[in-house]
Amino acid sequence: MNPSPAVAVTGLTVRHRRTVALDRLDLSLGPGVHGLLGPNGAGKTSLIRVLATVAAPSSGRVELLGGDVASHRDRTGVRRRLGYLPQDFGYYPSFTVREFVAYVAWLKELPADRVPAAVERAVERVGLADRIDARMKTLSGGMVRRAGIAQAIVNEPDLLLLDEPTAGLDPEQRVDFRELLRELGREATVVVSTHLVEDVAAACTDVALIEAGRLAFQGATDELTALGGESGAPDDSTTHAVERGYTAALRAHRASDVRTSGAHPKEALR
Amino acid sequence: MTAPRPEARPSPAPVPRHDPGPGPGPGPGPGPRHDSGPVPRHDPESAPRPGPGPEFAPDPGLAPRPGPGSPRPPWHVTDALALRYAEGSAPETDAWSLEKHVESCTACAARVSAAVRAGAAGPALAAVRAELLTSLGHRPAPVPVSAGAGGAAPSGSPLGRWARLWWTVGPALRGSWAVAVVLVVGGAFGLAHGAGFQGAGSLLLAVSPVLPLAGVAVSYGRHADPLYEITAATPSGGLRLLLTRTAAVLAVCVPLLTAGAALLPRVAGFPGAAAWLLPGLALTLAALALGSFVGCRAAAATLGGGWLLAVTGPLLAGPNAAGAGAAVLAPYFSGSAAQGGWAAAALACAALLVLRRRSFDHLEPR
Repeated sequence: MNPSPAVAVTGLTVRHRRTVALDRLDLSLGPGVHGLLGPNGAGKTSLIRVLATVAAPSSGRVELLGGDVASHRDRTGVRRRLGYLPQDFGYYPSFTVREFVAYVAWLKELPADRVPAAVERAVERVGLADRIDARMKTLSGGMVRRAGIAQAIVNEPDLLLLDEPTAGLDPEQRVDFRELLRELGREATVVVSTHLVEDVAAACTDVALIEAGRLAFQGATDELTALGGESGAPDDSTTHAVERGYTAALRAHRASDVRTSGAHPKEALR
Repeated sequence: MTAPRPEARPSPAPVPRHDPGPGPGPGPGPGPRHDSGPVPRHDPESAPRPGPGPEFAPDPGLAPRPGPGSPRPPWHVTDALALRYAEGSAPETDAWSLEKHVESCTACAARVSAAVRAGAAGPALAAVRAELLTSLGHRPAPVPVSAGAGGAAPSGSPLGRWARLWWTVGPALRGSWAVAVVLVVGGAFGLAHGAGFQGAGSLLLAVSPVLPLAGVAVSYGRHADPLYEITAATPSGGLRLLLTRTAAVLAVCVPLLTAGAALLPRVAGFPGAAAWLLPGLALTLAALALGSFVGCRAAAATLGGGWLLAVTGPLLAGPNAAGAGAAVLAPYFSGSAAQGGWAAAALACAALLVLRRRSFDHLEPR
């Protein structure tokens, strides 16, 4: 077992006023691409925000890349090695893509002389090289999303958090994006929050399924698929199998509800 | 291939270690070692190397003398050999010898380096060196890079000094707030000179402390900065970014508003042009401190609104005489008691801000 996973969360609770978004969640993630699945309102964005250090947990312990994010010094160190794409993000309309990405690189304290090359590489990896000097306000929604991914990966992060990154991408761009995800996941720990099961089937090595602030399932994508069982339908596909696994895991979690909250989630460190 | 740099070696002590190459013998054939070069110079001061080892013939045509304990004949790279090496026409064994020799002989390394740099490979070497230095975190030196193409700042680089300043100042100075400040000052001048309104100075003074508040409100936070959530996840986000942007706002406000107030027609008994500085600073710091609890926009709106109600409102409601304006403003601006109070308030807010500094590390409350 890896002694220090990139993400180690114990007893994480997040409250928004009266409502509980995350309820004593334990989660441990190592390198690879992790799909974060769950129904709307399950707490995916709350979890990503805590992992991105922009939201403070109400209680619980969060260790990222070996540092405790409750300490200011560790948090600053973690932030230099972090990439974060929020679900909704804005931009300065008059900035070009190059300026937008370079601005974030500057905020992430990349050495100034490494920034130009890092920016060009990041923009090229998301397939926006031909629009690098276009102003942000002239870009389509999918291009803005890709510029957002570029800013997240500009510092070659060890921990990359993407909240709904495929929203607004057309099918071809999605295929390219999943390829990029697999590439990034070879070295970094990538957490992708999504409601698209096919994203998980195509790009994620592991899945964490969240339901009502609790971890309903964690394991390899294959294991989730196996939970769905055989369908026998002639047009069955991987996506369908993952969908069935997703549904089966959710139902199993709801059935066992409170009782098994500590026993059901599997520690899958790799 | 490396371009040996003479400055890398502090001592030019020639230690002649002449290995002809990886082969076991001194050379593959009986032919002359230096087929066309002039006679290598002898260096009488070079130390002999004890022990057996392949040696280099001091004279062309002479067979090597492998003898245990025999003094090592000195040998140095001639200009002709360096030139042939640079253009790649030196025989392989000579090239080996040269490469081995320049590892330990500074003078020859310099000679070979100069020849190589002057040759066809020069530009490529310069480019490699510049790139290597850049990747190691050095500022590219102006000397070795050929002028033009690959300079320190490639065209389109957003990292110029001005670009960085532009980034630092934040959205306020790029947006309509800067326009608003200029309009306020210009409006006061228009009232004073165009309409002959005697109270223009007091009006400007009464509005001045609110302007930096507005600047802070449109610079930072969930509502003002579209990049807010992204910046919040970076090491430079939070209080540091807020303070740099506030400083930028004040750097625009303070000279513009003070000079504007000073240039307006003077009215007897009226507070000086700089009277707004301490109230403005106190209100700005109060907005930051309060902002750590409720967010910057709400804090600035509360304090700015309160100021407008308390000070600017009575001024507008009162009689339009210059003296009346001075009477309304005097309790807030005039006298050491008022100014001392603002200074104390500014200090208290700064202290509170220090205590609350970590609250800016996370997203502000909705």
